[in-house]
Amino acid sequence: MKEAERKRGDVEIHQASAWVLRAGVISSVSMMLLGLAISLFKDRPDVARMSSLGFKPDYLNILRQASRGNGLALIELGIFLLVLTPILRVAASMAIFAAHERDWFYAAVTFLVLLLTLASLLILR
Amino acid sequence: MVKSPGRGKRLAMERSLLWLFEVGGASFAGGVIGAISGFGGGIVIVPVLTVFLGLPIQHTIGASIISVIAVSSGAGSVYVKDRITNIRIAMFLELSTALGAILGAAVLSRYLGGPSLYVLFGITLLLTLIPILANIHQELPENVRNDRLAAALRLNSSYFDHRLGREVSYQVTGIPQAMGIMGVAGVVSGLLGIGAGVVKVLAHEIYMKVPTKVSTATSNFMIGVTAASAAGVYLRRGAVLPYLVVPVATSVLAGAFLGTKLMERMSNARVRQVFAVALGVIGAQMLLRGLGGLRH
Repeated sequence: MKEAERKRGDVEIHQASAWVLRAGVISSVSMMLLGLAISLFKDRPDVARMSSLGFKPDYLNILRQASRGNGLALIELGIFLLVLTPILRVAASMAIFAAHERDWFYAAVTFLVLLLTLASLLILR
Repeated sequence: MVKSPGRGKRLAMERSLLWLFEVGGASFAGGVIGAISGFGGGIVIVPVLTVFLGLPIQHTIGASIISVIAVSSGAGSVYVKDRITNIRIAMFLELSTALGAILGAAVLSRYLGGPSLYVLFGITLLLTLIPILANIHQELPENVRNDRLAAALRLNSSYFDHRLGREVSYQVTGIPQAMGIMGVAGVVSGLLGIGAGVVKVLAHEIYMKVPTKVSTATSNFMIGVTAASAAGVYLRRGAVLPYLVVPVATSVLAGAFLGTKLMERMSNARVRQVFAVALGVIGAQMLLRGLGGLRH
């Protein structure tokens, strides 16, 4: 009985995590490709520019530019979305451990992982 | 000779497209190998882009950390759906990796670092080849009993093996040792800014004695989180080049999807062989990089 319940919960966590990961990679890569296509036709970057141009992670500005259809900003937004994907996956497993399975131990473990990951993403130099 | 401006423009566009395809081709192989062996594929991408395409190392490492996230998420979505990944093991051990990474990056990087660390890490990896090679032909670990912690944490599980055509149940042991190794993996990735997926596979393989497919799939799942936390540093340094990342991320992702299909059909012994070769290459790479740095 308990074993069967646990199996069902495990299936749910697997499905939800798989869904978050797939949605994350597909949307971020499509955004990058769209941005690249726009930028290739509009900005016509040469090889020297493509192999040296960096960007500042100023997300509000990137968001504003991307909504105006700026190709480069769309690429940058896609990169940001890709970096967020594994973190969203951790958040999704935490939600299911807590809300669906009432598995407080693993919900707490996942919460700590989420906290530490966000901390190092934001704080470290 | 005067060229018409239209022709010059077209030529520049062709060169740009060619460059994008070259970078993409190199990254595709990285995705395939990364997905099978359980680490992001940076070992293929960094040297190929640096040596053959002449890109500066700090830019290729920035692209590599993004590619680790793409491989981990893309391959992860398949392995997790097919339930080869053990999510409980991943979540529990991610905790010690995350702690180690913060310790490494925030505290230890002030005292440690530089070439000698690469040398030490390289030698350690090459030494771990010995126990891997000793079991190179073993299909599934035998006589493994849950240790107390693994039983309490309900880490034992099962997966469907396409090659063997049956459900394989497995028990898990050596949790305290594995936690220690995962902490070290975290410290290493915090210090060197790498995903350290290779160390994670080793902990699964040598101490926890889970089937190789489960170790590489679970390690693949974990490295995305470690790489995502490290990515902030690279983004702030401006080491992530948008035009470079698009072909890299797109092709490693395509490679990773192919890699998952190959891995699910391979035997555990074959997966271990791919992993052992990659381990040897990474170990040698680290060692050479460290020795090169010591000379300067």
